[in-house]
Amino acid sequence: MIGRILLVISWIYIFFGVLGIFRFSNMYSRLLTSSKIDTVASITAIIALVFYTGIGEYTVKLILILVFILITGPISNHIIVRSAYLNEIPVNEKEVKGWKL
Amino acid sequence: MILIVTMFLLVGAMLFSLIRLIIGPTIWDRLLALNLISAKTILLIALYAVYTERPVLLDISLSAGIIGFLTITLFARFIIAGGRSN
Repeated sequence: MIGRILLVISWIYIFFGVLGIFRFSNMYSRLLTSSKIDTVASITAIIALVFYTGIGEYTVKLILILVFILITGPISNHIIVRSAYLNEIPVNEKEVKGWKL
Repeated sequence: MILIVTMFLLVGAMLFSLIRLIIGPTIWDRLLALNLISAKTILLIALYAVYTERPVLLDISLSAGIIGFLTITLFARFIIAGGRSN
C-alpha cells in the first residue's frame, strides 16, 4: 500500500522535473532545479519499489541502486555545472520572463 | 497496473529530455538532458524488473547507471579540456 502511494508521489516529481527543464530562463537555475528534482524522483521511486516488493531478493539490489543514485546523482550534476562555470558562462544573466526554450 | 503507468510517464519524461537535448542552446543543456535520460533509464529498468518479476534485470539498471555517470564525466572533461565550446 505504501509502495503505491510513494509511486504516485514520484509521478509528481517526474512531472515537475520535466517542467523544470523548460520553464526556467537562466541556464544555471534550469540545471539546478531539474537535476535536484530528478534525483529526488529517482529516490522516491526506488523506495516505492522497495516497499512494493517487500523483503526479498529485490530489496538488496534496490538498496544498492538507491545508494548508487544518492552518490552519483549530485556528483554528475556538479560536474556539469562546474564545466559550465569554468567556461565563463555568466552566472547572473538577466532574468527573461516566460518560456525560454 | 500502477507500474505500467509509471513506466509510460518515465518514457514521456525521457522524450521531453530528448527535446531539450535537441534544442538546448548550450552544450551544458545537452549534458543535463543526457544526465536526466540516463537517470530515467535506471528507473525504467528497475520498474521493468519489478513488473516482470525478474530480479536479474536490477543488475543491468545498476550498470546502466555506471555507464551514464561515466559518460557525463568524460563529456565534462572533454569540454573543460577545450573541446568545441560555443
